[in-house]
Amino acid sequence: MIGFAGLSHLGLVSGMAAAAKGFDVIAYGADGALCDRLNRGEFPFFEPGLEELWSANRSRINFTAAAAELSLCQVIYLSLDVATDENGGSDLSGLTDLIDRVVAAAANDTILIVLSQVPPGFTRKLAGRIEPLRNTRGLQLFYQVETLIFGRAVERAMEPERFIVGANDPRHELPETYQNVLSAFDCPILVMRYESAELAKISINMCLVSSVSVANTMAELCEKIGADWSEIVPALKLDKRIGQYAYLTPGLGIAGGNLERDIATVVSLANEFGADDGVPDAWIANSRYRRDWVLRVLHAGVISRVANPMIAVWGLAYKQDTNSTKNSPALFLIDALKPFSVRAYDPAVTLEAGIQPNFLQSATALEACEGADALAIMTPWPEFSAIDIAEIRQLMKGRVIVDPYSMLDGETCGRSGFSYFKLGSPAGKGK
Amino acid sequence: MIRHLTSETSPARVVVVGASGFVGQDITRTLRESGTEVVALSSADVDLTKPESVDALGRMIGEPDSLVIVSAITPDKGKDAATLMRNLAMGQHLSAFLEQAKRAHVVYISSDAVYADDANPVRENSCCDPSSFHGLMHLVRERMFAEAVRKTATPYLILRPCAVYGGGDTHNSYGPNRFLRTALKDHQISLFGQGEEQRDHIYIKDLSRLVALCLARSSEGVLNVATGQSVSFFEVAEKIAQLCGDGVEIKGSPRANPVTHRHFDVTNIRKAFPEFVLTSLDDGLAEFLREIKDNQAG
Repeated sequence: MIGFAGLSHLGLVSGMAAAAKGFDVIAYGADGALCDRLNRGEFPFFEPGLEELWSANRSRINFTAAAAELSLCQVIYLSLDVATDENGGSDLSGLTDLIDRVVAAAANDTILIVLSQVPPGFTRKLAGRIEPLRNTRGLQLFYQVETLIFGRAVERAMEPERFIVGANDPRHELPETYQNVLSAFDCPILVMRYESAELAKISINMCLVSSVSVANTMAELCEKIGADWSEIVPALKLDKRIGQYAYLTPGLGIAGGNLERDIATVVSLANEFGADDGVPDAWIANSRYRRDWVLRVLHAGVISRVANPMIAVWGLAYKQDTNSTKNSPALFLIDALKPFSVRAYDPAVTLEAGIQPNFLQSATALEACEGADALAIMTPWPEFSAIDIAEIRQLMKGRVIVDPYSMLDGETCGRSGFSYFKLGSPAGKGK
Repeated sequence: MIRHLTSETSPARVVVVGASGFVGQDITRTLRESGTEVVALSSADVDLTKPESVDALGRMIGEPDSLVIVSAITPDKGKDAATLMRNLAMGQHLSAFLEQAKRAHVVYISSDAVYADDANPVRENSCCDPSSFHGLMHLVRERMFAEAVRKTATPYLILRPCAVYGGGDTHNSYGPNRFLRTALKDHQISLFGQGEEQRDHIYIKDLSRLVALCLARSSEGVLNVATGQSVSFFEVAEKIAQLCGDGVEIKGSPRANPVTHRHFDVTNIRKAFPEFVLTSLDDGLAEFLREIKDNQAG
């Protein structure tokens, strides 16, 4: 029996994946009403494939608000989502409270695994607290790296590239029960000391941030000098030192919370230990700069030319296939457009009514376009690509489309009379 | 980088310190045109280089007043250490005055010269490492005033404009101001090198309108004032030559210094004042020319 304590996005997806691999799972969270909804298959967020996974494995997973039920588990994952503030700082108090509850409930000889996002050094300190219990109750503590990707979480949980496990002493073999759980996923298992595993997770994310920052920096130059970043990317991906899966799609800065958290951790560690933090500082500055790209384009192309413009916004989630809006560029844009009318549509996100006096959420993408002077496509939901540009043209008053992710065909937009702006190529040039 | 403490309200009275200069005059005029009561102080009213100015300011400025501080000895009147020290003495006396009581609002017109030469694009949090005494003077004064108003909890705003152009310029500074004058007078524009350096130029009326908006909103913090569109001095010269229209010659010269550029990220103006529309360089130059011709005709 495997336990998951903390009904976060990560905990739910990981728990469902364990159930799908044939393990019985108890998933614990203090919110009884949430557990009831989850037992009915009602998830508090959108994640492709999750509901199907639950339907196929519902007999093996039980959601409960009774911590005592975790005493039935031989392995318990601590999977609480660690909240971050706007600057990526972590609040670990909820996790430490949860750990106390789980330790109290766990049976002797249970293996505890921290799956939550924790800063380097956290697991070693926790191990120090648990050490006395190791001798008397046989509790063992590990840290396991998670690299959740919203929108692809199920796929990655079912078919992980590898497991990275932090151990007190990596020279010792993993306990058999834990090894059995990991082996069910048939991928390499890398065991290292706690601190290395904690930093491995951050290192992975720093590599991703670095790639995206390169893409954003070079894409901006493309926009200025007449190159097209989308033509350059295939050349980079054929370079083995860069690779076909490299994160080279330019975007509106770094969002979602997890990457920001890890950058903040690196900066904090660099400050504490006197290491150079110039590079992560530059990543943060570049991310904030690119986040406002659409705002700058709208000011230059519409707001400075049209009195009381109305802006249509497609997409509120920070990326496609999720309803998360954490640090979403769309929300920053809407906030910066306060005096103007904004009509927004997102297939998975509904904002609270009245967040701004001039903000309305539309039922469809096309409805949001009615009478708009400009359209900004802030989230690359695939369904936006299927929308007929002629219909958009018919509904909109103005002729400006800001399409950072190139969801529409730029040439068609241009032929339809639109000024068309996308990341990585000069204005007016489509994909 | 700034926040507004009030929604749109008219300041009770505004005292412009340094009202006889290019920027001070235009701010005074703009505020008066909008119906704001303005007290315009110049060096003829109070000599800020002297310690007595502290008491003199106290007699002229009341606690409900808002202040716009523009006063400075500009680089055309001196770029040396002695000028720096006189400017700092003015800052010292103003600070001593500001420490005495809470005022409604203090707006300090600083300069983009506070930033390092290689800060690109310049943002409000770019590295402040001035390469001139003029920039150093502004940076030190920014800090002096910040320390003074902190003691009285007076809302404090620093505006850092890029090069300002427009009618009434008294400095004949390199760029639109000098180019337009020499184009009209001598039919010639002289460039350093071939005028390759790219700079941002803000129209004086935009700066004044922005000051008025900041006063109305009791804005505090730091805000750069620029258009976000940098162009080369050669392009500025070409635009002016075209506007003047009667065979203005653009002359280059051997380059004495390496080419440097300066660009601004003006996102914070967009966020702070979403409805504020900046004047394009083309429109600003055309208006500037009209103003000069009107003055000549008048």
